[in-house]
Amino acid sequence: MTRKLLTGNGAAALGARLAATDYIPAFPITPQTEIIETISGWIDQGEMDARMVTMESEHSMVTAAAAAAASGIRVFSATSSQGLLYGMEMLYTVSGWRAPFVLVNVSRGLASPITLEPDHNDIMSARDSGFLQIHCSTCQEVLDSTLMAFRLAEDERIRLPVIVNMDGFYLSFTREPVEVPDPKTAQNFVGDYDPENIRFRASSPVSQAVAVLGGVPYSYFRYETHLAAQNGLDVYDELSREFANQFGREYSAIEAYRCDDADIVFVMLGSFATKARAAVDQLRKAGNKVGLLRPRLLRPFPAEMFRMLLAGKSGVAVIDQNISMGMGGVLHSELAGALYGHPHAPPQLLSFIGGLGGRDISLEEFFEIADVTRNAVAQKHTPPPRLLYTEQELRQMRKLQAVASVERDELNNSGGAKNG
Amino acid sequence: MYRIRFHGRGGQGMKTASRILGTAFFLEGYEVQDAPRYGAERRGAPIFAYVRADNQLINERGVITRPDLVIVADDSLVPVPAAGVLTGVDEHTVLLINSDESTETWKHRLNLSCRVFTLPAEAEERAELRFIGATCTGAAARLLGKISRDALQQAIKQELSELGDAVIEKNLARALDAFDCMQEHEGCIQTGTEANATDYSKPAWIDFPFEDARVSAPDIHASANSVEVRTGLWRTLRPVIDYERCNKCWWVCSTFCPDGAIKVSGQTPEIDYNHCKGCMVCVAQCPPHAIEAVAEQLARQQDAEEEVSP
Amino acid sequence: MAEQPVSIYRSMKDLPSTHLLGTGTPMCAGCGGLEALNQLYDIIGDKSVFVNAAGCMTLLSVYPFTPFRGSWLYTAMASAPAGAQGVRDALDILIQKQRMNIDEDMQVVVLTGDGSAYGMGLSATSGAIERNLDFLYICYDNEGYGNTGQQFSAATPHGAKTATSTGSRGYPGFKKDLFAIWAAHNPAYVATVAGAEPVDLARKIEKAMSMKGPRMLIALSPCPTGWDYDPQETVTVGKLAVKTGIWPLKEYVDGRVIHTKIPRERKPVEEYLKLQGRYKHLFEPVRNDELIAEIQNKVDDYWGRVGK
Repeated sequence: MTRKLLTGNGAAALGARLAATDYIPAFPITPQTEIIETISGWIDQGEMDARMVTMESEHSMVTAAAAAAASGIRVFSATSSQGLLYGMEMLYTVSGWRAPFVLVNVSRGLASPITLEPDHNDIMSARDSGFLQIHCSTCQEVLDSTLMAFRLAEDERIRLPVIVNMDGFYLSFTREPVEVPDPKTAQNFVGDYDPENIRFRASSPVSQAVAVLGGVPYSYFRYETHLAAQNGLDVYDELSREFANQFGREYSAIEAYRCDDADIVFVMLGSFATKARAAVDQLRKAGNKVGLLRPRLLRPFPAEMFRMLLAGKSGVAVIDQNISMGMGGVLHSELAGALYGHPHAPPQLLSFIGGLGGRDISLEEFFEIADVTRNAVAQKHTPPPRLLYTEQELRQMRKLQAVASVERDELNNSGGAKNG
Repeated sequence: MYRIRFHGRGGQGMKTASRILGTAFFLEGYEVQDAPRYGAERRGAPIFAYVRADNQLINERGVITRPDLVIVADDSLVPVPAAGVLTGVDEHTVLLINSDESTETWKHRLNLSCRVFTLPAEAEERAELRFIGATCTGAAARLLGKISRDALQQAIKQELSELGDAVIEKNLARALDAFDCMQEHEGCIQTGTEANATDYSKPAWIDFPFEDARVSAPDIHASANSVEVRTGLWRTLRPVIDYERCNKCWWVCSTFCPDGAIKVSGQTPEIDYNHCKGCMVCVAQCPPHAIEAVAEQLARQQDAEEEVSP
Repeated sequence: MAEQPVSIYRSMKDLPSTHLLGTGTPMCAGCGGLEALNQLYDIIGDKSVFVNAAGCMTLLSVYPFTPFRGSWLYTAMASAPAGAQGVRDALDILIQKQRMNIDEDMQVVVLTGDGSAYGMGLSATSGAIERNLDFLYICYDNEGYGNTGQQFSAATPHGAKTATSTGSRGYPGFKKDLFAIWAAHNPAYVATVAGAEPVDLARKIEKAMSMKGPRMLIALSPCPTGWDYDPQETVTVGKLAVKTGIWPLKEYVDGRVIHTKIPRERKPVEEYLKLQGRYKHLFEPVRNDELIAEIQNKVDDYWGRVGK
């Protein structure tokens, strides 16, 4: 095992290589492109025995990835934001093929307006697709999760594609020290892929992904896919213990940080959660019993584990880096669904929306979130959802608007006769 | 609420028939639902459509499981389980079958305690099939007893307005004939009882078992097993080879058959009647005109007679 | 240049007498697309994976029945060629890494209707040809979105009535030249075929099967349901499409276009048009000589251009 500096993209690429991936259908998109460039370089240098094919779209990329997996080989691919959405029809489609492969998504805000910086609306849109989802907060985790994802996807109790998610820029382009497992140990952990009877061979004809008529077969196939996804909870649990034994790093389905004796708990996904971690340390120093829960598995949703970890807490602040238009934070809704009606559920569940399009979340904001949550607990009153956005930011926005409106103002002043 | 189901074959105008009946009810002031049910099957395959009518808002939706009236435009569908003609039929149901055979024959054959009415089957020409729907609807309207002659006429005119006056006239004539000939049975349809919430049969829900993807993926681990699907039931005309006139050239009918339903053993073509859909391409293409189109019903009767006296 | 191999299909007597594709499919009685597929499948054989896009033939395999003796994968409307890429690459990788015996290899075949081939799937098709994917593409062209009730597609001919071109002049656009689009990519092979011309079809699929790389067969698929004619006329309509010159039978190979069956004396297009309900408005209630002549002129222009 060696320790070296790697970007999140580099870590993802290395994960694919260590897992002895056979095939990588690809399509470039910022901030993911470094992954496929890195792999392409290894293949060109003869360092990786795999084939990469650049498709003409993510829709085709996901199709080719799943078709290859359905033919019985190990497949890896990567995308981001608009690309994930362009491939969305196929995400939903191929999970039903029960063809396992690993897709890394580098989270980036969605158009419109188009942006390059991260938030989680892209990955949230894949929430119901049938892909399992692992969310990472460090470059180390990206590498380790990629290895685990192949095991999860290919397990006979699951056999579904898995997305490993990391934040654009904050992980994708950020170098951190990463422990790199030696190839043999990694390959031993991942093992060989046994496609069983879902594969194409001349001697055993199969018609895959056929149509159905009526709700009886449809309900059967869809619910089996759901049950397979649910199996992911137990399989993940086993897997993370095995991983910890072999590599010494433990990744439970929900990372609980200083939660045991906490009254107030932050809930957050992804790399921004390490900021929350720092805030927890500061809040603890100031004598506040605050903790952090960071789900690594979003699908399957570890509802029971959430209920257990949050039992008896007085207040929960969910900080969503996404927004469901007309509803609010997605994780907040999911958690409310998991907690509702349970006897030990925390009485206060607050919603904060922050970090949209890469907007930073300061330590002070976390302190304030803790304070607002504490007040809500004391007053037994839940405040409305809050967008993390300051007066100063709005002033800054006003300046931009003024610049953007100059021409309109000129037109108005000249009575619209500018070109006359 | 009236619950009426139409059974026919794709292309026989069951959707239109259900719409005519729906419109007629609507014109009489009823709340109405009418809908066709589509599957993968195409022209010639069994399909159905349904109508609900009530004098209050209709909340029930979807397929009718307990019909008051079942209309069968094509009697060859009755014995086909896949067509589901008899699904949910009980004593209170009325069956209206378009058939040359008598009511008694059908009652005997089906061994059902429900009432059966027949309408004389129509001419065999395909061009005439499109009037079956109107005929059935006319009879149904009278059996229901809630639709006036006027409303029936108006509904036909509305629903067929795009087909031109000549077609409308023909449909009107047939529908009204059928309406008139059901006079003595006017209003004989009774509405079924509604499910009640205190005394009902409990659904036997199961805790759905997980099965791994080897079993539970939507995959078919088989080769050409579609032959188990008897598309021969779609046929209204049957191609019959006159082997004396057949040139034994085999390649023409067999090559052109869209369904691959003509096989050649030795030098002789054989039509697979389990799967021939009755398109009659072979009849049109056979160079010495050795294949003849016979009405399926007639052909079946001949088969039955031959079986009796071999 | 190497001498062209002689076809084993000289006349109809040489065509296969037993059929490989299973009966019992839910395609319409008289389906011209199924007729062509049956003829093609006899020669392609069961060592094949069909990768299918959304269209009428999605319903060939409806759980639990399949007519295929070989394999099949249903993808989506836009990306069947990408599915073929994944399958082909996987088989190659398995052979190369000696994880699969070469006997287990299969011909990868894309099967789509014109909606996908002429429109939604073009980007994926173009990409697959660009990447020189070794695959065969079969398009059953029934000149409209048939599975949804025959709305016009990019393959609908000028003047045809469809569910979305019901006016007195029918479809105002012109059929896209998919053959030329494919040829412009310089693939291994492109051909037009018709189930009504089975010997020509057999020779072409035989030739396509002997090649590697991207290969396309566009099969005119007379559609009794969408074109509104009696199902028994399927072959007659197909033959007339060829005899009137409306559907030129041709192939593109080694950078050249060759017409494989040139009608000696082209019949007037009217003979083809008047058989079909989709052109009824050209003849009733009053004859539209202008539009008939326009269609005829287009055909004459084509044959004039290609010098036949």
